[in-house]
Amino acid sequence: MAELLTAEQIDQFRAHIAHIEHPRELIIDLLRAVQDKHGWVPDEGVELVAGLLGLTPLEVEEIATFYYKIYRRPVGRYPIHICDSICCWSRGGEALAEHLQKSLDIAPGETSADGLFTLLPTCCLGVCGRAPAMMIGRESYGPLNNEDVDRVLAELRQEAQA
Amino acid sequence: MPTLTIDNQQVTVPDGNTVFEAAEQLGIVVPHFCYHHALGAVGACRMCAVTVVEGSMPGMKMSCMTPAEEGMVVETGTAQAEGFREHVGEWLMTNHPHDCPVCDEGGECQLQEMTIASGHGLRNYRGNKRTYQNQDLGPYVAQEMNRCIQCYRCVRTYQDYCGGRDFGAMGSRQRVFFGRFRDGMLESDFSGNIVDVCPTGVLTDKTFRFKTRLWDLEQAPSICPHCSLGCATVPGGRYRELQRVVSGVNLQTNGHFICDRGRFGSGYVNHPARPRHARAGGSRVSVTDAVDSLLRRISETVSQHGPEAVAMVGSGRASLEANLLLRQWAAELNCPPPVFELHPRRARAIRQTVGTLSDHLASLRQVRKSDLVVVFGADPLAEAPMLALALRQVVRAGGRVVVLDPRPVELPCEFEHHPLTQEKILCLLAGNCEKELFNRLLQDLMAARRPVLVGGGDLLGGVGLQLLGHLTESCDNDDRYCLVHPLLPQANSFGAGLLEGPEQTDLLERLESGRVRALICLESDPCSEHPEAGRMQLAISRLDYLAVFDYLPTHATKRADLLLPTTTPVEGDGVFINNEGRMQAFARVLQPGVPLAVTGQGNHPPREFVPATPGCHPRPAWQLLQQVLGDERTLHGLRQAAAEHESRLEGLSDLQPGGEGLRVMPSSQAPVEESTVEIWSQDGDLRLLPVQVRYGSDHASCLSDKLTPRMTGPQLIVHPQEAEKRQLKAGETVLLKTAQGTFRFPLACDERVVRGRVIVPCLPGTPLEILVPGGLSLPCEIEGEAP
Amino acid sequence: MKQTAQLLFKNRRPGETVFLKEYERAGGYLGLKQALREMQPKQICELVKNSGLRGRGGAGFPTGLKWSFFPADKPAPKYLVCNCDEMEPGTYKDGELLQADPHQLVEGMIISAYALQADTGYIFIRYAYREQFANLQRAIAEATEAGYLGKDILGSGFSFELHVHGSAGRYILGEETALLNGLEGVRPNPRSKPPFPAVRGLFGRPTTVNNVETLSNIQHIVTGGAARFRDLALTVDGAGTKLYGLSGHLERTECFELPVGISLREIIDEYGGGVWRGRRFKSCLPGGASTPFLTSADLDVQLDYQTLEAVGSRFGTGGVTVFDDRTCMVAATLNLIRFFARESCGWCTPCRDGLPLVAWLLEKIEHGDGTRDDLQLLKSQYSNISGNSFCALAEGAMGPVDGLLRHFEQELVDHIEKGRCPFS
Ligand SMILES: Cc1cc2nc3c(=O)[nH]c(=O)nc-3n(C[C@H](O)[C@H](O)[C@H](O)COP(=O)(O)O)c2cc1C
Ligand code: SF4
Ligand code: FES
Repeated sequence: MAELLTAEQIDQFRAHIAHIEHPRELIIDLLRAVQDKHGWVPDEGVELVAGLLGLTPLEVEEIATFYYKIYRRPVGRYPIHICDSICCWSRGGEALAEHLQKSLDIAPGETSADGLFTLLPTCCLGVCGRAPAMMIGRESYGPLNNEDVDRVLAELRQEAQA
Repeated sequence: MPTLTIDNQQVTVPDGNTVFEAAEQLGIVVPHFCYHHALGAVGACRMCAVTVVEGSMPGMKMSCMTPAEEGMVVETGTAQAEGFREHVGEWLMTNHPHDCPVCDEGGECQLQEMTIASGHGLRNYRGNKRTYQNQDLGPYVAQEMNRCIQCYRCVRTYQDYCGGRDFGAMGSRQRVFFGRFRDGMLESDFSGNIVDVCPTGVLTDKTFRFKTRLWDLEQAPSICPHCSLGCATVPGGRYRELQRVVSGVNLQTNGHFICDRGRFGSGYVNHPARPRHARAGGSRVSVTDAVDSLLRRISETVSQHGPEAVAMVGSGRASLEANLLLRQWAAELNCPPPVFELHPRRARAIRQTVGTLSDHLASLRQVRKSDLVVVFGADPLAEAPMLALALRQVVRAGGRVVVLDPRPVELPCEFEHHPLTQEKILCLLAGNCEKELFNRLLQDLMAARRPVLVGGGDLLGGVGLQLLGHLTESCDNDDRYCLVHPLLPQANSFGAGLLEGPEQTDLLERLESGRVRALICLESDPCSEHPEAGRMQLAISRLDYLAVFDYLPTHATKRADLLLPTTTPVEGDGVFINNEGRMQAFARVLQPGVPLAVTGQGNHPPREFVPATPGCHPRPAWQLLQQVLGDERTLHGLRQAAAEHESRLEGLSDLQPGGEGLRVMPSSQAPVEESTVEIWSQDGDLRLLPVQVRYGSDHASCLSDKLTPRMTGPQLIVHPQEAEKRQLKAGETVLLKTAQGTFRFPLACDERVVRGRVIVPCLPGTPLEILVPGGLSLPCEIEGEAP
Repeated sequence: MKQTAQLLFKNRRPGETVFLKEYERAGGYLGLKQALREMQPKQICELVKNSGLRGRGGAGFPTGLKWSFFPADKPAPKYLVCNCDEMEPGTYKDGELLQADPHQLVEGMIISAYALQADTGYIFIRYAYREQFANLQRAIAEATEAGYLGKDILGSGFSFELHVHGSAGRYILGEETALLNGLEGVRPNPRSKPPFPAVRGLFGRPTTVNNVETLSNIQHIVTGGAARFRDLALTVDGAGTKLYGLSGHLERTECFELPVGISLREIIDEYGGGVWRGRRFKSCLPGGASTPFLTSADLDVQLDYQTLEAVGSRFGTGGVTVFDDRTCMVAATLNLIRFFARESCGWCTPCRDGLPLVAWLLEKIEHGDGTRDDLQLLKSQYSNISGNSFCALAEGAMGPVDGLLRHFEQELVDHIEKGRCPFS
């Protein structure tokens, strides 16, 4: 398994925790840090966060499982959040999602065979003026048509090869 | 104190009460799920809607979230409120699997009751239902998440009320999941309560699963026998087997919850080794013959050796009635009055409680409501688990808990721990050392609004509790008392102590010297209860005659010349008096008999036909003693006579099982001085302290196989520096050398243990059982095993 | 199209972010200096009250009034929390603001904190706003460096520290009490009110939660005065400008700063470039996903709180989502309800279990399997969910259903009678 947090990160968090009154407020920061480093948050990540904050794994899990953008299951290298909310829906979001499914050959929630992409329908991304939109990792794209999507996917595939 | 009108009835309720509580006071049950008396209102389920016709915020409101107001007019049955509640019923049922025929909650399912109360009958939703994968929550609680209606009561009980940290709510929206991070046994010592609070069949008692439908279950209100707190329970059984125990409700004591020891510790009732037949001289006899031979032998002893040659031992395990009759018997024979507690130091602690402390005793409810509790020499989770839960409520409400104890005390809440030796604690109470800490505590106690002192009878003994009594008095003021909550060894220690005559500490000597020829034991076992267990065993083997009344298999029942099997508290009626002097009645749940699961090895019908129920011979000890005495009074008559005779028992005959019980009248007897041991001089070197542990230390729970997964094996616990000093390591087997013998046990280290002490668990049924808790620490040495 | 005075978008240039130097050059932090040097905290609260500013987070609660509940005299810690969760579909104005000009919010928060005598601030920002998060961090660092944040700000004796807290994607965190739980790191279910955050908020301390846009207006009120702020609006009762995020079936879907009280028609035609592809206007959500639909009969309504309430809708967040005449309103409502059902926190029954039931009904009708009974059922679901949930999420979810039932019942009936969606 890849590293969950670097030793340096852990030291930084420890120092931060020691100096604030309510360490629990860092729970999302820690989970996000693990996710940024590791791609998703495995059980060990939850336990690591719990250990740092003096919580039980369950207490961290209660929070981690509430948030959709903490991945508690493996995702591809590029998780694709395709917006299915009203503005994107009104401007062809459904067709776009279908196109994505077809070109990746996966259903929503699945990861492509090459392990690169996971397709996650998501609520409004806050770029309603650029609908239909998607977010890959934490980069948002829009407005999109099928060609744009193909181009982005091709670029990412290339990036992954490099 | 607002007065409001609900459904045309007026009611006046305390300030801060809600409309829901006001309706409850009128006997109007507004349908509800998430509201629970002990957990309060959270407004999640939305089932309790009513219509506020007049008030500052008229309209349909959730009654559990709406404060009662002066002059408010509320209707619970408006079309709007009923219509809405019906919708709530429908929403809650959209995902419910309707598996009632195979669900263990059947018969006590609040979801069934409330769905019907809500008026929801026809399902409109025809879509898919969400389903879950269940977890294995260990041997006690079974989980069936598909039935969940998300009332959040389980988490609110487990986490908020009980302080458990390994069970909670995960996920969100229509997919909330209540469980653990991973499969595994629930860690809280109060885990079973989530079964009681779950309104439907999600969380059920795994040890009871598929055994009995509720309507076939024999149940009755009872009192937990596993410690001195006297929590209300409702045991249930069938086929002569005690199958489960659930919490009863007594707001003065346990409230709505009980501990896992009380819930899962009743295996002793079904235990195959229980004495089931009367025996005389090694052979089975009828109860009548046994009583006859007992009477004959005792009268022979009296006539040959005088009444001094007969000794009797009562106990804190036996009911008040049985102990009373034993005392009466002794009086009739003119022999010395019974000893009701064999451990002299424990007996003195009981005496102090029953005597000097009795006008300052705090109920468990008063502990919960306290703002400062100082615990002197007690480990609540081990000696009185529900006290630990009460302390948590103190902290939750913003109060403080301070513990002075040599052990690695754990509590389900934040608290301040001062590791002090037993001797130091006594010395501190006497004002002779640790003065700074003492003065600080004294100041805090004086300033507190509802201070309570908890005293562990085992560690403090009579002197300690007496000193504690002085302390409370100096913390009293004009507005309030500073109360005490002493912990005693057994469920009826107080009741037995109430009957105790002048102090007798010489029973062992009398036995050894041969002055006592015949000994009668009522639900007590001298060989494991007397502090010098080894000497006692020897002394007992020299007796002419040993007669034992008991329901547990003990050393005494094994050696008895005459054995009369008695019933357990669930097989008879009686009264226990708990540690705060509360008399509480328990009722018979089952007729005694060998469980079908044992006789038929699970096969039914039995292969062997006999006219009587197998194993039905045990009788309540008080009945047997009545037979001995030729006494024909009813239980009620017995209680009435006792109350007339002993003014402190006023009200005894009116007690009803399942009620709140009644406090015995206070008394202030002259204080009893503990023999003048030089307590404080014992401090300093390495000494041994035998203590009770959470599971398996009391004589009943050690026979409950349901508790096996929670039991910890024998081990010695020391401060890591003590180990280091002797070049020992945690985990290795070491030799413990004491006057009682040498033992080999694994060593554990814990920073929280006081220096200079070896903590050793009392575990009946193991070689450690001769180290009886309740005494002062003993000299000892530990060393590595010789290679 | 007349020019609107630009307060919040004054410095906005496409694709660029303004940081300290430029912000100061354009008059940034003058408001702060003025406030700290010339005004008492009470005076600022009074000024905000007089300005008529109402919360821009959706509920429209008068900001000055909210502030008046804040116990400024209680000892520290006291918190000012900025709500930048912004996850309601159709709402993206705060994101636009922070992309262009993060110091606006920082300055607004410092002045607000001074007015409230709060000592610590948090900006709670949604997961997807990565750039905005970075912008804020940089802005805070710059402001601290320049002495606008931290101890003894500009020698005034007032101290304030400001943190950014990144969320991880849930709409319910926008609800202010759920947000506070989220900040504390506990499960973000909403809390019951009372006690209100002003009494027991973050970590049990007095707290005020305000929206990004609300707080960003404060320095403009300080520098320009209450009267000028009121005059910016085109309605009598209204005040200020508003950030309108346009979306849906328009030619141009951008975010504009325009007066409160501008008419729907003007926004659509002049700023949105008219309904796209030459089609006709059918309906719109005037203020985000939780506001009831308007119809072409409402095109001349002025966009403000009272005016929109008068036509049965709400001003909400000012995100205008337009639907053309080929839109199936049942499908649109279904999409919205699915969003709300998925974003339910799972605490209360009407929302957790009621919304999925509504979604199922709409799905059934949309697929042509609906019956007249289902229509009745939909109506009773609507009337029983509305007003009866624990927080305003499920309430908001009923906004579009309300609009659907009031304006488009015939469309529901058509689905039922035809046994299919008439638009597909
Ligand atoms: C479900 C729900 C989501 C909300 N989301 C937001 C949001 O994203 N941003 C926001 O400022 N207010 C949101 N609100 C409103 C806040 O609860 C609160 O009223 C607001 O932040 C107060 O700030 P204001 O008075 O400045 O508008 C939401 C409310 C609800 C019930
Ligand atoms: S309405 Fe109820 S379930 Fe929905 S988000 Fe609010 S509290 Fe949670
Ligand atoms: S609706 Fe898709 S980004 Fe807002």
